[in-house]
Amino acid sequence: MRFILEINLRGSGRDMNEKIKISTRNLSVFYGPKQALFDINLDLVENKVTALIGPSGCGKSTFIRCLNRMNDVIDLCKVEGSIKVDGKEINTKNTDVNLIRERIGMVFQKPNPFPKSIYDNVAYGPRIHGLAENQEILNTIVENSLKKAALWNEVKDRLNQPGTGLSGGQQQRLCIARAISINPEVILMDEPCSALDPIATAKIEELIDELKKSYTIVIVTHSMSQAARVSQNTGFFHLGKLIEFNLTEKIFKNPDNKMTQDYITGRFG
Amino acid sequence: MSKVEKIKLLKKRYKAERRFKFYGILSVCLAILFLFILIINIFSKGSGAFFKTEILLNIKFDEKKLGLNINSSDKEIQEANFEEILKDALLVLAPKVPELKQAELIDMVSIDAALEVKKFYFYNKGVLNKIAEVPLTLSDDLDQVYKGNFPRDIPEERRRFSDFQLKIFDDQISKNKIVYKFNWSFLTNADSREPELAGVASSLAGSFFTILVCLILSFPIGILAAIYLEEFAPKNKITEIIEVNVNNLAAVPSIVFGLLGLGVFLNYFYLPRSTPLVGGMVLALMTLPRIIIPCRAALKAVPPSIREGALALGASKVQTVMHNVVPLAMPGTLSGTIIGLSQALGETAPLLLIGMIAFINVVPATPIDPSAVLPVQVYLWSESAERGFVEKTSATIIILIFFLIIMNSFAIYLRNKFERKWS
Repeated sequence: MRFILEINLRGSGRDMNEKIKISTRNLSVFYGPKQALFDINLDLVENKVTALIGPSGCGKSTFIRCLNRMNDVIDLCKVEGSIKVDGKEINTKNTDVNLIRERIGMVFQKPNPFPKSIYDNVAYGPRIHGLAENQEILNTIVENSLKKAALWNEVKDRLNQPGTGLSGGQQQRLCIARAISINPEVILMDEPCSALDPIATAKIEELIDELKKSYTIVIVTHSMSQAARVSQNTGFFHLGKLIEFNLTEKIFKNPDNKMTQDYITGRFG
Repeated sequence: MSKVEKIKLLKKRYKAERRFKFYGILSVCLAILFLFILIINIFSKGSGAFFKTEILLNIKFDEKKLGLNINSSDKEIQEANFEEILKDALLVLAPKVPELKQAELIDMVSIDAALEVKKFYFYNKGVLNKIAEVPLTLSDDLDQVYKGNFPRDIPEERRRFSDFQLKIFDDQISKNKIVYKFNWSFLTNADSREPELAGVASSLAGSFFTILVCLILSFPIGILAAIYLEEFAPKNKITEIIEVNVNNLAAVPSIVFGLLGLGVFLNYFYLPRSTPLVGGMVLALMTLPRIIIPCRAALKAVPPSIREGALALGASKVQTVMHNVVPLAMPGTLSGTIIGLSQALGETAPLLLIGMIAFINVVPATPIDPSAVLPVQVYLWSESAERGFVEKTSATIIILIFFLIIMNSFAIYLRNKFERKWS
């Protein structure tokens, strides 16, 4: 039964060895009286990049903020339905959100490095989670994270300078390094390139391609071409509903839904 | 619209602009002028108090008259009577004067002159049985004559000093025996009934202890309250009421806090009256809202993206706030605190009500000793009739303003140095 459901959800032409990392069932979100998401059923595949596209205000960001319980921060926000990470329900009162966020990292739309040194920005996560027993291990973690974020060569000589002094693209890569410093399983990216120029964007996209080997990545984007370039699966949201979810190739070449077709070809949005 | 009309309209607009600029410059100039007048006035009146006149008197430290010898202990020196050798030295200035005039002669030096002689001997024990030149504080009246504050040419009966005193005084000036020098005793002496001896040391120490108590109480309480209200408290009716009332509290007249201190701290808890402890507690009540409000504003100014960044890393709420938000809000909070404290430093009314208006002639050593504070000292001296107190009043204001300027500059320095770096 579950097998058939998965086939239906994921469409055809799929590799059956894929492992589902996160799955949501009937996920609805309310901001006070207003419903922002309607019964979202979506599976995120491990070590793949999933892109979420759709017009502004369609609920993409709301959706990914559910996955690491960041919507808890918003007072009026209520999340209903089921979110399972590795088959374990996380949308319960008893779930420790700090542990969830340790496993599911996030990169935001606007680069938001802490006003500390580059080193401390990356070392902050390992420090609060007690991941490094001594300074040497911490140095290694910082170095590896910055290397993975393709920033090491640019900053290795000025680790003590403030992270806010970097350029926009470098800041965003610093935020990515910060996110991977605690070795999460999933990285959520909320329009990570919207504040960046094309060169910085290209660097981040390259990085995403590299990162998907070790992490499951969800990226919200407004750029259709970016979704096509970096992702393997794409979901199209409209007015709080998941209209279509399929392989990226299929979505962009031959979508099942008329609305998806219209959006991708730029007829609305 | 024709071209002519358009040009007219344009001219009108430029005129309005010039007018507005002119009014702006005028008001700035007026404000500066008033400030200038105030400062000139205070400095011209008060600067004299920082200098004093002394007379160099040749005193013979006669062994027999003092009842001391070279091996006398400090206690014996303390108990010895130096009045007599002082009187002898003064009489030398005008030999063979009638008995009546002798009192006038003695009045020429300060009432504490004998103490000054004793102090001189204390540090120069070798002068026993020798003659030494000792600098002694002149009486306030002659001090004021020297500074030119008392006219010499009015009839004798309307003066506070006699022709005889004036003649001897001028005689000493011509012999270069009168020295005019920086008045350290103004900064090191406590209050006194004699203007030439009165100093601000007791009120300076009192102000210091009061502000210290105020800081120790209001800073942690204010900051914790602000952090809780801004970052942790649920947004509901109760917190809204608290917020409105914190703002109201900042507008309550300070004398009301004085009444509260009198009723609660003194009459209910029986804390010691007239002390910096109670003064600081009363001022802390007054300063609390003035710390909470800027601290909350500073916390509010920290962009939410910083909080989200930390939360998304799995930091707990307390870690997020303490590691990332509070350090960013600190400069704003500190400058708000310093400005709140400088207001407390200049506060008089609430302190009058808890008895800090008492005449205190010793320097307080702890916050539970009775003491005065600088603004109350200004108030006390401004009520005294002697000319010497008039200049001391202004001099105290100068000291007060000096500390206020230092504190406010420090606040500005903090604000500029740690200006928001995140945007």
